[in-house]
Amino acid sequence: MTMIPGLGIAKGMFLTLRRLFEPKATIRYPEVAADIPPRFRGRLQLLYDEYGNLKCETCFQCAQACPIECIDMGGFDTKGRYHVHWGPAETYGERREESALRRSGRPVPDAGYAHYPEIDTAAVDQILLEHDHDPARMLEILEATQLAYGHLPVAAMKRISFATGAWYAQIYGTATSYGHFRFRADDVEAGSDYLTALGGSLGGAPSERPRIH
Amino acid sequence: MTAAARGWDRLNLFGKALVIIVPIFVVVTFTAILAAILVLPIVVDVAAANLPIVRFFVAVTAILLVTIPTAFIVGYLELKVLAFMQTRIGPDRTSPFGSLQAVFHGFKMLIKEDFLPTRADAIVFTWAPVVVFLASIMTFLVVPFAPGFYGQDMNIGLLYVFAVGGLTVVGLLMGGWSSFNKYSLLGGLRSAAQMVSYEIPLTLSVVGLILLAGSMSLVTLVEQQSGSFLDWYVLQQPLGALIFAVAATAEANRAPFDLTEADSEIVAGFATEYSGMRFGFFYFAEYVNVFIISALFVTFFLGGWTAPFDWPWPVSGDINLGQLGVGLLLAALAIPLIGTLLFAAPFAVSRRRMPLWQALVIGFLLFNVVAVIVISLWAFISFEWVVGLFWFMGKTYTLVFTFIWLRGTLPRVRIDQLMGFAWKWLLPVALINLFATAAALVVVGK
Repeated sequence: MTMIPGLGIAKGMFLTLRRLFEPKATIRYPEVAADIPPRFRGRLQLLYDEYGNLKCETCFQCAQACPIECIDMGGFDTKGRYHVHWGPAETYGERREESALRRSGRPVPDAGYAHYPEIDTAAVDQILLEHDHDPARMLEILEATQLAYGHLPVAAMKRISFATGAWYAQIYGTATSYGHFRFRADDVEAGSDYLTALGGSLGGAPSERPRIH
Repeated sequence: MTAAARGWDRLNLFGKALVIIVPIFVVVTFTAILAAILVLPIVVDVAAANLPIVRFFVAVTAILLVTIPTAFIVGYLELKVLAFMQTRIGPDRTSPFGSLQAVFHGFKMLIKEDFLPTRADAIVFTWAPVVVFLASIMTFLVVPFAPGFYGQDMNIGLLYVFAVGGLTVVGLLMGGWSSFNKYSLLGGLRSAAQMVSYEIPLTLSVVGLILLAGSMSLVTLVEQQSGSFLDWYVLQQPLGALIFAVAATAEANRAPFDLTEADSEIVAGFATEYSGMRFGFFYFAEYVNVFIISALFVTFFLGGWTAPFDWPWPVSGDINLGQLGVGLLLAALAIPLIGTLLFAAPFAVSRRRMPLWQALVIGFLLFNVVAVIVISLWAFISFEWVVGLFWFMGKTYTLVFTFIWLRGTLPRVRIDQLMGFAWKWLLPVALINLFATAAALVVVGK
């Protein structure tokens, strides 16, 4: 029977004709929602607490319970000591460093990774005591600190942040928005030579005023 | 502030619209009546003196106007039928049952950027879609839709159909060559090869018809088939009909021979660089082509406008509405109003909670449906050409459905299979069909 030419075409035509009258599989979404299996959980997502930290403690209970073994997780234990991993061995390795240069193992100078130098915090503690640890008097505190150390060391600003409760970023931002603060011992006031020269050429002197960097 | 400005400010939006529209209507009406009195007699005289030219212009305008809804209907049918064959619903968002989907596709094409590639041949690039489109719709000029309802009854109609249809190749090559893109050029060459190959069996398949009918006029062809379906040429030329169907499918670039722009495989063949409405015209031409090959098949093999059997209730009457005189005008004014109120009444009475305007809207729609049915019935029994058009369109759209059905069923052939089939099978079979027809005619001694 298979030797009859055109039989396959006829069969196919009748198949499509039958499909024409079959009930349709389309679900008209906004009006009709599809039936979702009762154990469907949607996309897996880790939750954050109110401080912005991951609530996940890397206990692997979810990975153990996952019936289709789709959870594959890695991280550090709660003491931050050991790297732990659940699931099959990583093919590509977990990527902890974004820079390919640093991943290659060579030493790369990075100012952001260098630790700030320690200082003797007795002077800044005394200044904070005098100003009642009040973050509202931040400008006075910073000026007194500069007077005591000659510049504003990072350690001093960290100490001020810790004692007053103001965020370090806010203190640093406050300090950098004024022109008369210096952040390194060898730092001169930014652009002061140029401003003096400019003022001299115009027949005057630059005025003292806050500048925005 | 003048009195006129104060008065204008006191009007609401509707009033302002009326104040603008009513004078325009008055002026237009006045001008129209003046023109009818002064200019119309001259125009009628000139037109009567040059009747063939007038007939040509009317036919061309009608064809241009008719092709647009035709392409939209065929495009919508394709979307919907293909969807149903794949157990989908298809378009149903844009309008009732998605019926305006193809129209919105057209609007989308209009909105898009009309892009011209760098170093493309701008003139040829612009005219290629026009040539393709014209080659498709010029066939309409000789298609006999109904008795007395055709653009021109040429005595070389059949030759004209194939000559004009062959122009499509020129358009495709123009598009492929002028795009300044090697893929477009390859696509154009490929479609040219395909269409030229299939043109030969396509033309040979209807030579048998010419021998049988003794004429190349399409109207004569249809008239020779009048009677019942036993007189249709498909029964005398089954092989010819089969060859014509296959070759015409390839000629119109339809599945399973749609290698020209094979949506799922290559970018777009000759139309790779086309965008906007220029691309839209290629698509337009494709859908018009589907209608045309169906219409030609109906004309050649399925008896054109003739009914497939003797109509058991030969109703025909001559209801001359002109007898009513002024009454006709009054009826035209009063019947829609009365009909709307009549159909709205049951809803307004039986459903208390339905607002009156809803009942009126339903009444108006129902009245429209009934009026269209009544008018169609009146036209059907009064005019012979309406009956012919009914049968012709019925057969043609059945064939259009068949072509879409084929597209939904058959997988696309390979280019070597396509060419091999044309030259190794279709051409010899078409020649055999021609010789057999000729020999049979000699034996019968017709």
